[in-house]
Order: sequence, then structure tokens, then C-alpha cells
Amino acid sequence: MKKWLVIALIVSLMASLLTGCSQPAPAAQDGAKAPEASGEKDVYRVAYIARAQADSFAAWLANAVIEEAAKYDNIKLDVFDGQANDDTENGLIENAITNKYDVIIVQPNNGEAQRPYVEKAVAAGIKVITTNARISGIEGASSVDADPYAQAAVNAVVAISQIPQNANVVVLKGPPGNFHADARRDSWQKEFFDKRTDVKIVGEEIANWNKDEAMNYMETWVQANDKIDAIIAMNDNMAAGALEVIKDNPKFKDILSYGVDGTAEAVLLIEQGLMTSTSLQSAYDLATALMDTTNKLVTGAEKQIDIDIDCPLINKDNVQQYIEMHKKAGAIK
Amino acid sequence: MNTINKNKLWSDMKSKYSIYFVLAALFVISWLANENFVSVENLSNISTQIAVGTILAFGQTILIISGMLDLSSGSVLALAGVLSISVYKMTGSLIIAFAVAIITGVICNILNGLMVTKFKTPPFIATLAMMTMARGAALMYTNGQNIYQIGDYVKFGQGKIMGVPTPVIFMAVILILTWYILKHTVFGRSIYAIGGNEEAANASGISVNKIKMKAFIFNGILVGIAGVLFMSRVNGAMPNGAIGYEFKALTAAVIGGTSFTGGLGTASGTLAGAFIVGFLDNIMVLVGVNSYLQQIVRGAIIALAVIYDIWAKTKRTKRKHDLK
Amino acid sequence: MAKQLNAIQKHVKGDLKAMNPDIKLRVSDVEKFFPGVKALDKINFSVKKGTVHVICGENGAGKSTLMKVINGIYKQDSGRILIDEKVVEINNPIQARSLGISMIFQELNYMPEMTIEESLFVGNWPRDKYGKVDWKEIRKRTLELLEKEKLSYSPETKLKDLTVSDIQMLEILKAISYNSDIIIMDEPTSAITQKEVEVLFNKINELRDRGTSIIYISHKMDEIFRIADEITVFRDGCVVDSRPKEDYDMDTVITQMVGRKLESVFQKEDMELGDQVLQVKGLTNPGKFENVSFDIREGEIIGFAGLMGAGRTEVMRALFGLDAYQSGEIIIKNEKTDIKNVKSSIDKKMVMLSEDRRRYGIIPVRSVKENVSLSSLKRFIYGGRLHGEEEDRTVNDYCKSMNVKTPDMETSIEALSGGNQQKVILAKWMVTNPDILIMDEPTRGIDVGAKHEIYKLMTILAKQKKALIMVSSELPELIMMCDRIYVMAKGKITGMLKREEFTQEKIMAFATATKSQSGVDII
Repeated sequence: MKKWLVIALIVSLMASLLTGCSQPAPAAQDGAKAPEASGEKDVYRVAYIARAQADSFAAWLANAVIEEAAKYDNIKLDVFDGQANDDTENGLIENAITNKYDVIIVQPNNGEAQRPYVEKAVAAGIKVITTNARISGIEGASSVDADPYAQAAVNAVVAISQIPQNANVVVLKGPPGNFHADARRDSWQKEFFDKRTDVKIVGEEIANWNKDEAMNYMETWVQANDKIDAIIAMNDNMAAGALEVIKDNPKFKDILSYGVDGTAEAVLLIEQGLMTSTSLQSAYDLATALMDTTNKLVTGAEKQIDIDIDCPLINKDNVQQYIEMHKKAGAIK
Repeated sequence: MNTINKNKLWSDMKSKYSIYFVLAALFVISWLANENFVSVENLSNISTQIAVGTILAFGQTILIISGMLDLSSGSVLALAGVLSISVYKMTGSLIIAFAVAIITGVICNILNGLMVTKFKTPPFIATLAMMTMARGAALMYTNGQNIYQIGDYVKFGQGKIMGVPTPVIFMAVILILTWYILKHTVFGRSIYAIGGNEEAANASGISVNKIKMKAFIFNGILVGIAGVLFMSRVNGAMPNGAIGYEFKALTAAVIGGTSFTGGLGTASGTLAGAFIVGFLDNIMVLVGVNSYLQQIVRGAIIALAVIYDIWAKTKRTKRKHDLK
Repeated sequence: MAKQLNAIQKHVKGDLKAMNPDIKLRVSDVEKFFPGVKALDKINFSVKKGTVHVICGENGAGKSTLMKVINGIYKQDSGRILIDEKVVEINNPIQARSLGISMIFQELNYMPEMTIEESLFVGNWPRDKYGKVDWKEIRKRTLELLEKEKLSYSPETKLKDLTVSDIQMLEILKAISYNSDIIIMDEPTSAITQKEVEVLFNKINELRDRGTSIIYISHKMDEIFRIADEITVFRDGCVVDSRPKEDYDMDTVITQMVGRKLESVFQKEDMELGDQVLQVKGLTNPGKFENVSFDIREGEIIGFAGLMGAGRTEVMRALFGLDAYQSGEIIIKNEKTDIKNVKSSIDKKMVMLSEDRRRYGIIPVRSVKENVSLSSLKRFIYGGRLHGEEEDRTVNDYCKSMNVKTPDMETSIEALSGGNQQKVILAKWMVTNPDILIMDEPTRGIDVGAKHEIYKLMTILAKQKKALIMVSSELPELIMMCDRIYVMAKGKITGMLKREEFTQEKIMAFATATKSQSGVDII
């Protein structure tokens, strides 16, 4: 008896999975005309599929997108959470297709995993924008992105003249296999380490974008090395973590440090003269560009757009405007 | 006759104190591997770094001994820390902020306890649910963003009293508290009994549900304190912080001899387990072991430490068992 | 040189003996060492085909160890085992089973969530032509077996819903179903009632007539002399003697077992009874027991007899606060009491020694000391600390007075023998200084020496004006110890006998009665 119950459960589970992954969006119902065919609409439904809510940058971006979307009368935005999981995110894309959204914005967890589903959306006639990081090479899809290679490069390029001869440096990396983490590290390698072969890396660890992990590593490195001239971090969180460890240590008061993102914490550290520079990955700029792109696509002004937002270098000289930016957005009170 | 007694003494020592041997061996190996290992500052760093995880581990120890566990510690500590800092920024009072953290930890764990005792939910499931709920609550409250500029709050996690970092002092106090509870209270004996055989404990007059609730509440207080220390150490309220810390805590407890079958475990054992992991992480970074290899080594040492501990324990009971 | 000659002589003598076609199993010079102890010392004995060979001895004498060697759980350090006069290697129980040996254990290891049909065929699944488990066949065979043995369970009943006696019955059926030539039974009747014993003995005779050899470990003298063809006595890891039953008498067996003279029958002392200390009126828990009323006085020992399933344990559990009851009154020392949980019962000075000590009695991984002090923690932990020396002293005193055999107080209780574990649990309750002791099958699975110690303790307690309620399936023990016996059947009390009226027949009559003593129908 119990056995049959289990089998019935498994069969019905499999059936639902199969039907879920089967045909493309069903045909329009009798009598109703497909919205796209009737031309201009009053309100366009936009699905924003975030890769995760728990990632603070993704959360920042999602919030910014929501705020930006509110400025458009003709856009109604729904936000979905991919929970940092490929299966979940793919399922959400399919749901959006089934629910006939006009536009789907996808912030991929893993570009290649989401690629086939994005293609499906395009094939169903839905306008798709990929962002942070873009999935390149999809016919008919648009994209808005910041280039992680460039984000790191703007720092690396100035570091060439700032970091002293024969310096000892420590490097903090993002999660393994992460596109942004890898691209930034790659950029530092090509733009800095390959050119400044006199510089020695005395410690390099994966801190997973996390401040506390970076702190632990820095504490240990400080033990083992009398001289550390620079902290090279793939994001601001980790740079801030390393700086936290040595903030009261006079031995390191001249240490240089580099990050990426332009978080509120980082700009404050730069203002205080504790951090050297970072590059802005402005979620606000991304959001503006995304909504602008969305609007252009739905009104038919453009058929396909690819945009790269700037990643300006933030250092002591220009930090004020970015502090203002964060103040205006409420991140700094 | 004498040889039998001496053998017995040696194997008794081996099984009871096996984990300390491992700790000592690791210490010596690390010392030989890198001279910076034994500097006062390095050892002080290690102690500070393991403090949050170890405090959580003491809570886990109490729970695991009584046959339960807590998968929600990392999430609840994040929620507690985030609320605490937020309240501090509103009121300017460190004391109120600290209290808020503890209250949050306790409330979440009372919910855990109710799910387990009133609704007979297995602790694994109940605390798994709390893990997601608490994390969601923390993210919802902060809208996914970190709260910076926490002012004097950092003193909790970054201060020093007579040269000893505050997290280490908290850890030491909680160590003594946990040891005291396990050895010198009726509550302590009761949890050993419940974990060893819940039905027999019940039939011996122990109020099982009451004790289980108390265990969760104790855990809640510790998780709250851990929240304060974690956030103040990273100088910001991070709703995403401490992901996975419950497993760090479980690891330390299990390496330290706390048995998942219940009824066994000690405070000092858990501390030893935490230091074994702490020494290992530290020496691998000092020596410059490849990151991926570090993970493999970490997992292997955990497996080995536990296998050795179980083997040593089995030898002791097996021998006596066969005297039937 | 002389030593070697002796060894060769013994070897040759042994070989000469070894030509007897009647011998099914022969154990030859088997020795087994464990760290610090010699568990088996040059064991020699043999079991003939188609006989029941009883092995008796105190706990720790080596009987269980030898059986585990024969069953493949241990490997002997020296010596040989021969089946049909051919040397065999037995490296594990599966091999033993294939050689025709199967064993039914004393300490039942069962999986509560398993069903009856699953447990009967576990590890021995009949398979269909595709190689899948043939559940139809299993169901068929289970139903056949249950019907043949007249058990009224459904094959889907889970083991956790059966009583201890049922589970043991199933163990026996399993071993029989393997069609073994040699069946080892370790105290098989320790948890079943008289009626079941009869059924078992019929089965054993049946098997014996078919040519199966049965090795039967037991302490119960009357059973031994009923069922044995030959008896071997163990003591301290050696075979003391081995004779056909006719050449033995009970006293000789006991003397050989214990190494000293011991009365086989315990003499009950006359006791002066005090005031009524407990009165139970109309206790009812629908479906389990109904309208149970009894009373007991200080210094009195009352017994509860009945068949398996009569409801005695259920009544006691409700009385002790482990289970709830729907209606009825419990009056302790003339005060009406509501027993809501175990703690309130202990507070009222009423304690219970449970039937299943593994499940409800001991905390296996904890020490003897902690097990003894478990119900009296506040006595040793007060003023903010544990008073360790006081605990040590008290525990030592009680364990000594009960003659608990343990290497020391810090040993895990699971390392102790069944009898010693029972004494530890009894000590635990004695520390709480109770007035009323409920004892559910107190001597189950315990050897003769330890049994007598428990009877002696019970007498001392009665002398100290405690009231003892003894639930037991061993009629001789009830008749020996009790002042009065209540008999239950199907959840109701069917009769009460005073000491002068005790006979096994009368008790059995009430236990199987369709009408109670008072003439009320039992449905």
C-alpha cells in the first residue's frame, strides 16, 4: 500500500516535470488577440530575474532597477529571485515566457546555463536583455553591462606608477569559477603583474567577496610578513576587510589598496585617505541603462541594443561626487 | 595483574584524551612548518578568528549532547547582529543594542524549541526552516544592503581588555559557563541522559521537553552574542554575513568528541576541535598551500580526527563488552 | 619435551574420539582471548544429532562467547570446530548460516520500523525470476507461518508495536525458517509467557525428532530439566562437566555453576504487614485495560500474573505516570493523587523498574555512576555545584550492597551484563528512597546467582516496610515471592489469590478465564 503511494508520487512528480519542460508558450486563446499584434500598449509587463537576493550587489541592482522602473508610466516591473541557483533561475525564465511578459531582463547566475532559456524567450517573440554579466552572442537579445576586465584595469593601470619598486603585495580573490572574479584577476595579471615583474605576491587567497574572510587572511599575512606595500582586492568588501585589520597599525599606515565596485564603505575609506582607489560599478547607472533600453525596445524605437556603462576610477581627487551619489540614494546618511 | 591495569590506563587515556593528542601534534607540526606560527600575535589572532565559531559550537555541543542540533546559527546570528546594530544607531546605547541581539537569538531559538517539543518536528527540519526564515528576515530588514558607520559598536569585537581581544574573553567566559553547566547542574546531567536514551531519561523522571527548551534558549543567548561579535569585527551589519557558520560550529563540536548519537561531548573537547580547525587554516595560509588543496586537507583532517576518536572509543567499550 | 608429548597425546586422543557419526557439532580445544582476559579456556564438548543440548552457567562464564564463536561473530584464537566430524572455518554469521548454523540472540536487536514480514525475510529475500524481491511470496509465506503458529498479527504490523515476547517469538520462527541443522537459542524463554513456552517446547521436540541439533542456553532449572537431553555446565571460561540429563540433578548443576552450594528454591520469610500504602480504584484506559482495582500494604509483595497481552505492563505504566489513563483513582497513603508524569510519581515515592531495560532503563553510553544517580540529581547537585565525593560515596554504597559487578563506577553501563545492569537500575530507584516499587519482569534474562540476589533484595525491602508490586511471567517466581497474586486477562483483573491458595493451575485458570473470579464475563 505504502509502496504504491510512493510510486504514484514519483510518477506524478515526473509527469509534472515533463509537462513543465515541454512545449513553448501555448497559443493565444480563442477570441483574444496576441498583444504584440495589436501594436502600442498602455503598460508593458517587464520581468526582472535577479541572480540572487543575498548577494549585496545583486540586491543593490535590483533595488535600483525597481526605483528606476517607477519613473516610467508604461512599465510594470516584477522582480524574481534566482537564489544563486541555475535550476531556479532557468525555471523562472520559463515561467516568464509562459506568463507572456513583454520584456525579460536576466541577470545570469551562470551565463552558459541560462543561455538556452534566454534563446527560448527570444524565439517566443519576447524582448530580452541580459545584464551583469551579459550573455554574448544571442541573436536578437540586447545587453547592458559593465566590463569586469575594464573595472579592474582602471585600477591596475594607475597602480603601475603608484606601487613602489620591489614591493610586496597581497591579493584577495572572488569565488572560484565566477566570471567577474576571474576577469578582474585576469586584468590585474595582464595590466599590472606582467608589466611589473619586480613586484612579489606574498599572499594570495580566495576570500569569496567576503569581508570577514579577507580579514582572517590579512591577519595571518601580517604575521608572516614585515613588509606589505599594497592590497590588491577584486572587490571593495575584501579590500575593506584587509584594511580593517591594519587600520591602527602604524607599520602599515602608507599601504596602498585597490578594489572594485565603489560601495559606500569604499568611498568613505577613500575620503579618509585609507584606501587608494576603486572603480565604480554603478548599479544606478546599470538600472538607468536597463530601463532606458527596455523603454526603447517596447516602443519599437530600437530592435536590439548593447550598452557598456562606464567604470570610472574613484580616488581621493574625485571621491566627493560619489559620496554625494551615495548620499542621494540613501546609502550614506 | 599489573600489566592489565597499566594497559587499561593507557587505552583509557588514549580514548578519553585522543583529541588533545591530535591538537598537540598539530601544534608541533605547525611550529616546525613555519616559525611565525608560535608568535603571541599569531596565536592571539587564531583565537580571535575562531571565537565566533567556537561560541556557536558551545551552543551546538549542548544541543547535540541532548540529541538535537541547530542548522540556523549562522542565519540567526546575522539577524541578531543586524537588528542590534540598527538599534544601536537609533538609540546610541550599547547596552540596549547588546540586549536586542540576545533577545533576537533567544526568540528564534524558542521557536526552534517549540517546533521540536510541541510539534514533534525533527530538530534538523525545524532549524533548517529557521535558517531560511532568519536569513530572509535579515535581508528583508536591510533590503539586502550592509549598514556601515557603526561607531563605538566596534568595541565589542575589536576591543582589548588587558591586552586580550574581547572576542577571546567572551569565548573564554562562555567556555567556562558551558563547562559549568555540563558538570555542575541538574540541567547538564539531564541533557546527557536525554541524548543517551530519551525514553529511559523520561522514565527516570526527567522533564524532557522542559530541558530541550532550556537547551535551545541557552543556544539562543550564545547565538546572539556571536552576532554582536561577528558584526562588530567586520565593522558593519551584514545580512549576508556568517553564511555556513553553523557548519563550522558543528565541525568543531564533532571533532571535539561530541557524538551525533547523543549523550557524549564536553566543552573542552569542543574548544580543542575549534583550535584544530583554526591551527590548520592558519598554518596552511602561512605556508602558502593552494586554496583548493586547503579545502581538501580541511575535509580530510575532519574525517581523520573523527574516525580516530570513534575508533578509540569503540576499542574501549568493545573490550569491556566482551567480558560478559 | 614432556609438554610437547602431552600435547601430542591429547591431540591423538581427541582424534580417536573424533570418529563418532552421531556427533553433529564438536568443539575441540577452543580458546579465545580478549585484552586482559581469557574468555574461553580449552573448551571441549560435543552435540549429538537430533538432541537438545543445554548449556548453563553464570553470566561471564563464557557461554555467550562460545556461541558467538560457533555462529561466526568471533574467531577462536586456537582450537577447532567440526561439523559432521569435519573441520570447518567459520568466519562470519553468513558462512555459519550456510553451514547450517543459526542463532537466536538473548539481547534482541530489532528495527522498530520494520514490519513482521520484512523482519522474517531480511537478508534472505525470496526473489522472482527477474531477480527482484518477491513480495507476493513473502506475504504468502508470512501468512502461512503466522497461521501455523496461531499468531493474530497482520504481516504489516511494525515491530515497534509488538511486545518483547512477540518479537522473540518471531526470532525463533526466523531461525526455524532457515532450515538449519544446528540452532542455538540463547535464553529463548526469557521474555515469553508460560503458554508460549509450551508452544516453543513443542516446536523444539518437533525439530529434535526431525534430527536437528539444538543448543539451548538457559538459567531456568525446571525448563532445563524438562527439555534437555544433555547438559553442559560452564564456569569461568571452562567446561566444568558434561553429562546426559539423567545423570544430573538440579542441585548438582547449580553447585557446579556457582562453585558453591546454593539453594535452588528461595525461602520466603514471614513478614508483618503494615498499613495500606496504595489503593487503585477502577483504573481505566479504553482499549488497554478496564476497571483495574487493587491495593497493597507496607511490607507486602503482590504479584501480577497473566498471559502476554493481558495488560499488566499497561496498567503499571499508567500508574507510574508514563502513560495517561482516562479514569480511576490512585490513592497513596490515604491521599488521592493524580499521577500526570513520572516525576510526580517519584515525588510520591512510587517508582518502577521497566520491563524493557534497554529501552526504558539504562542510558547506555553513560557511566554506572551517572545511571545510579539519575533520578536523584538534586541530592548531589545543590548549592550551585556538584558534590562529587558525596555522589561517589552514595553510588558505591548502593552498588556494593546490591553486589553490582563492575570494573569501576566510571565504566559505561552498556559494558555490564544484563543482571548487573538490572541491579544498577534497582540501585537508581533505591537512592530515591521509595515506598512503593513496581517491578516489571525484574529477573528477565538474568542468571540464577543474580536472580537470587534480587529475591534477597526484595525481601530486605519488604522488611523495610516497602510495598512491592511484581509483574512476572514466571509462575514459580511469583508463587515463591508473593503474598498475594492478582491475575489479569484481556485488560481486566480476573482474580486474586492469597498465598495459601497459590497453585500454578489456579493462576493459569484465571489467566485464560472467560469468566472472572467474581463471575463477570471477560470478552
